[in-house]
Amino acid sequence: MQFINIQDELKFTKKRRNFERNFEKYFEEKGYLMIEPRIFQSYDYFMLSNILLDSQKTVKILSGNSKILILRPDITMNILERVLNYWEDENPLKIYYNSKIYLNKSDSTIGEYRQIGVEYLGENSLIADMEIIDMAIKIMEKNSEPFILELGTSKYIDELFKELNIDENVKRNLKELIAKKNKNGIIHLLSKESIDDKYKKILINILDFQGDIDVVILMAEKHFMNSGMKIAIEELKALRDFFETNKLKKMIHFDLSMIPDLDYYDGIIFKGYYFSSSKKIISGGRYDRLSEKFKKKVSAIGFSINMDEMMKVIIQKGKMNE
Amino acid sequence: MNNITIALAKGRLTQKSLELFRKNGFGESIDEKSRKLIFKDKITYILVKPSDVLTYVEKGVADLGIVGKDIILEFDSDVYEIMDLNFGKCKFSIAGFENQKTYKENEVLRIASKYPNYVRKIFKDRNQKIEIIKLNGSVELAPLLNLSDVIVDIVETGNTIKANGLVVLEDLTEISAKLIANKVSYRFKYEAIKEIENLLGGKNND
Repeated sequence: MQFINIQDELKFTKKRRNFERNFEKYFEEKGYLMIEPRIFQSYDYFMLSNILLDSQKTVKILSGNSKILILRPDITMNILERVLNYWEDENPLKIYYNSKIYLNKSDSTIGEYRQIGVEYLGENSLIADMEIIDMAIKIMEKNSEPFILELGTSKYIDELFKELNIDENVKRNLKELIAKKNKNGIIHLLSKESIDDKYKKILINILDFQGDIDVVILMAEKHFMNSGMKIAIEELKALRDFFETNKLKKMIHFDLSMIPDLDYYDGIIFKGYYFSSSKKIISGGRYDRLSEKFKKKVSAIGFSINMDEMMKVIIQKGKMNE
Repeated sequence: MNNITIALAKGRLTQKSLELFRKNGFGESIDEKSRKLIFKDKITYILVKPSDVLTYVEKGVADLGIVGKDIILEFDSDVYEIMDLNFGKCKFSIAGFENQKTYKENEVLRIASKYPNYVRKIFKDRNQKIEIIKLNGSVELAPLLNLSDVIVDIVETGNTIKANGLVVLEDLTEISAKLIANKVSYRFKYEAIKEIENLLGGKNND
């Protein structure tokens, strides 16, 4: 945000803090406790965890003993690294943060991005899925602005990919094409690979596996290639009643071709969009697999709110109402 | 469908885009000879510079856009690439003098191009040291005046290259016109976008 004078900036900050406090209060009512992420992280550790974030984008600094550190580029990783160091079969843990991440921008300056989010750790159950999705929707509702929650599962495609006997690079390209909704690109790539037709058929049509939950489940069920794909859909099905009874169906657009931005997600994933904004406001999902990188097995689900974009929507709306 | 805005690239693709629209009952409002930049019938059209199509669509000012794959490859942008329109076909190629090599061991290869980011990406994996000379047009001139060793450009017929005594040394990527969509529009206007996609021939491409 750019401001003409300091009064404007202070006014804006006040407004933002009001919203932040509102969110924080809501999280605390729900039993979440605040955690403050560390600003510095070990660069080696980050590289080891290999989370598909371009390492050139991380802001590097040199500590007094010449160790390379980075300013936190992602909060979930940062928190988990700390929490899991202490973790020994603990009770479920609910935490939230209100913080910033730092990334190099293409114009050689450093970008600061505000994020508020929650993590529900150690509870691998429907309860956690329902609570987190419900909270994401409640947050979106705080602005009386049309929104859609896009919901899918990364497991369906990941499990399907396990059946494909193709090079890792080709798999990555294929995923990128699916993420870009590039059907012609998928067809073109598959024409060069020797993959069984039954797999090709799903991959070519995967972009149409979206819309109403019942329709999506019906389509997906026809194409189970292994038990993993079945489990992925069972998990979605389990949520169906919850959406039905709470009248959430009309706000959710199901899309099995969703590809998560960071590769640590494995299971339910979702993104929240406002009609008046061209960026995603909320993104989250289940990331049980991430803890394995820390040699633990802790299930986890959470989401983060892009506060900068959220504030743009709020300010824009305020201007229209004036 | 009437709340959809589409950004069209001015230049190489304009005529073909309009033909495609008119064939399918859109675009009668567009007068390409006029200096107006915005037109409206069933949907709204804006005519902009090719590289700006990406910006308009990414920022959501336009829901959809028609732009060449060359522009998409050159400028990283966060949009969906939902359909290949099967026109404006050409190739990214390396061109230079006959029998010239496209690699130089222990030497820097000088490449003139309008597409520096694309060139950097392509040569990153080749273990070839390069120097990119960014030009804005008439790239073929660069090897003739020894400004560069080779050029990387889009080649449709190859006539310009031939006329200047150059030859295609290597073909790189196939290019054609693409229908792109803003990610939020794709979510909120999914049905309308699907309808336009089908009308523009999405169903026939399988």
